[in-house]
Amino acid sequence: MNLKALIKSLMLRKFTTGLLILQLAITLGLLVNSAILALDTREKLSLSVGIDLDNILIVSTHPTSGNYRDLDYFRSIATEDLAKLSQLPGVNSVSISNHLPVSHRGMMSNVFDLDNPEQERTDKYLKDVNYILAEENLASSMGFTLIEGRFLNKSDQLDFGSDTKRNMVITESLKNTLYGDSSALGQETNNGFIVGVIKDVILDPSNPRDKQYGVFVNTIMEYIFVGRYYILNVEPGHMASVRSKAADTILAVQAERDIFDVFTMADRLKDYYRDDQGLADLFILLCGLMILVTAISSYAYSQFHIARQKKYIGIRRALGARKIDILLYVLTENWLVYTLGCILGIAVALGFNILLSQHISLSKPDLGLFLVAVSIVFISGTLATWFPANKTSKVPPVIATKTV
Amino acid sequence: MLNYNLKLALISFKRAPSLYFLVILTLSIGVGLLCANLALVSSMASDPIPEKSEKLFHISMNTWPNDQPNEEPFHILRYRDAMKITESDIPKHSAVFYESGVYARDAESTNLKRFDSKVRATTPGFFALTNAPIAYGSAFSKSSGMEVVIGHELNNKIFAGENSVGKVLELDGELLMIVGVLKPWHLRPLFYHATEGRAFNLTDDIFVPLETAIDLGWSIHARSSSTVSYKGVKFTRDRNVFYLQAWAELENQNKVTAFQQYLDNYSQSLKDAGEHPLDIRNELSNVNDWLLENDIVDQKVLAFTLASVLFLCVCIFNASSLLLSRFHAAKFEVGLRRAIGASNRDMLLQGMTESILLGLFAGIASLLLAWLFLKLSSEFLPDLANLAVLEPKLLLVGILLSLFTAISSALYPLYRANRYTISAELK
Repeated sequence: MNLKALIKSLMLRKFTTGLLILQLAITLGLLVNSAILALDTREKLSLSVGIDLDNILIVSTHPTSGNYRDLDYFRSIATEDLAKLSQLPGVNSVSISNHLPVSHRGMMSNVFDLDNPEQERTDKYLKDVNYILAEENLASSMGFTLIEGRFLNKSDQLDFGSDTKRNMVITESLKNTLYGDSSALGQETNNGFIVGVIKDVILDPSNPRDKQYGVFVNTIMEYIFVGRYYILNVEPGHMASVRSKAADTILAVQAERDIFDVFTMADRLKDYYRDDQGLADLFILLCGLMILVTAISSYAYSQFHIARQKKYIGIRRALGARKIDILLYVLTENWLVYTLGCILGIAVALGFNILLSQHISLSKPDLGLFLVAVSIVFISGTLATWFPANKTSKVPPVIATKTV
Repeated sequence: MLNYNLKLALISFKRAPSLYFLVILTLSIGVGLLCANLALVSSMASDPIPEKSEKLFHISMNTWPNDQPNEEPFHILRYRDAMKITESDIPKHSAVFYESGVYARDAESTNLKRFDSKVRATTPGFFALTNAPIAYGSAFSKSSGMEVVIGHELNNKIFAGENSVGKVLELDGELLMIVGVLKPWHLRPLFYHATEGRAFNLTDDIFVPLETAIDLGWSIHARSSSTVSYKGVKFTRDRNVFYLQAWAELENQNKVTAFQQYLDNYSQSLKDAGEHPLDIRNELSNVNDWLLENDIVDQKVLAFTLASVLFLCVCIFNASSLLLSRFHAAKFEVGLRRAIGASNRDMLLQGMTESILLGLFAGIASLLLAWLFLKLSSEFLPDLANLAVLEPKLLLVGILLSLFTAISSALYPLYRANRYTISAELK
């Protein structure tokens, strides 16, 4: 195989070859970056939230009737809801809250130890701590792991309207920031006394992993009008049946309610990253189109040039070249073009990555990914060249050289 | 001549239908995708109220009562600051409001179904300030009273689109009378509530006087922030609870300066009383500046638009190499026509006619595809659903882009075709 002759023949048609190389490079750049987006999204979705996502069912609801403005009525209905839901076969525990893990913002409060009010100034996350209204069953429904002390109990629910300092449970990362390695039990903060610390759950994925600050207080019954979520801990294997009965169970207690949604915490995580997933899917779609277009191009390119070279191929065949030689010759020519395209593609992929990262967050390209993309381009390109090349190599020399 | 050229183009299309199909397909996919993205970007970046966007100002103040502010200045105000704005007679109109939500039904109907309705609790200046289009009745004129104005959609749902002025709605157990019904009102972006990622929400279902909503305790459905604990919106009037957004219509620069001075004087009076620990920073931002400040253009869509520009390039390259092979195959014909006297210019004209025709076909196909891609993107990115509209100007852009791409991909092949020597081709 004479490489010099090949390059010379490519130079004879630099315009079309140049176009194809550019096209390959852009395709490659897009492929690599789309794959990065898809992988990034997959990594986000595999986030370990710290609870058993698949076995926690959430029902989000809100009353539609004015009767619920009487909070005692609201409380009595909510209490009955909780009782009825917990009787469903396969439900381990039921609770109600204003807030779910894997959210952005929500109800916030600043938190500092009363002896050390300056803490708030050194850690901005202490200004926006998730303030979660809970009741005693939330720990068992969510499956929180206790690190020290206890979770909230019935006695932590004070008389409604009381101004007494409350008992509260905090997350591990909040405890570490406020008290380091020493115990937090009995400490007094601006929001009340700490009676327990639970292992971190991802409350807000957009915050750093060690800033998952949360405070739990037993006040959801007092402020029942924000109790939007019922949280059901379901025995593995019973999810489908519980899920299908949850809405009707609530409506059977009192029908004047809007059930917004019934979903598992796994759905919740997916939903949180819905836009990332959507963008990744759009890019994958674009990649599919791009590969299609590039395949059409490679096909047209080889079709065109092989047609033009029919004569020379005929002469070569007449001079004793075998079919396999011709096939190899045409393929090598294309592989050379692909190699050039891939080299340029590295530059395009990097450039496109930098351009995209000004608008969205995405990882840097790595070599492995690049190799995968290169092999996809090579395989699809080879296939697109194969057919016209194969056809031409079958042309008898007598026909191919007819016009000479 | 044109007829003749058109005829030739059609013959040429007929001779290689699959090739021209591929050219039209690639060009229209490329243009359609870019068009769909441009439609999204142009919706997001457009001026929602061009007739007076320069005269409407969002008001941010810096009246946070301690030295630990959330943001400086803050885009939400507390009741006492907001009232100071409504008291001023410098603005032609002013609006102070918060977002809430209630369930609504016709109080006289036997049907108990209630509709989840988005509420804007506002001072009456809102309607004139935002040019809200009124279909029946009128806006309410006071900040209190059991009256509401409802939107077109809700009127359709509850009253089947009829004139419902004078009817009574049951809203969370309270009875309020409808005094006005709006026409269909599309604001893209929803400039008056561009924060918290709501710039592309629909306009509200129910507009209620501000004081009424506060008295009824209709909860705050947008960002609120406070330095004290409080038990509902009823108790916010005399507390440091920040939740109201404020806008003013200021007709000229003098008024802007005067109003800025008015706000600064107010802040100074707070400072003198020791109630304004932060620096005095009152900011007036007009509609377009405010939308820009809030970064409402979705970065994901921008990123995808970049990708679709690249994709369009690839499509042009592809069409170009397809056309090259077509012209090469038609060499003999070209040679023949040249030999019997067609000039280079004639050949060029003929080629151009062909590519313009090609561009038109691709244009039509690309508009269909653009529509399809828009549906698809709002499937993948549901937040965009309210934005996915193909405006007339985008249709024009689509056709022009197709023409441009068709002509530019035919340029080199044409140039090549015209350089074939007559003798060689006819040999």
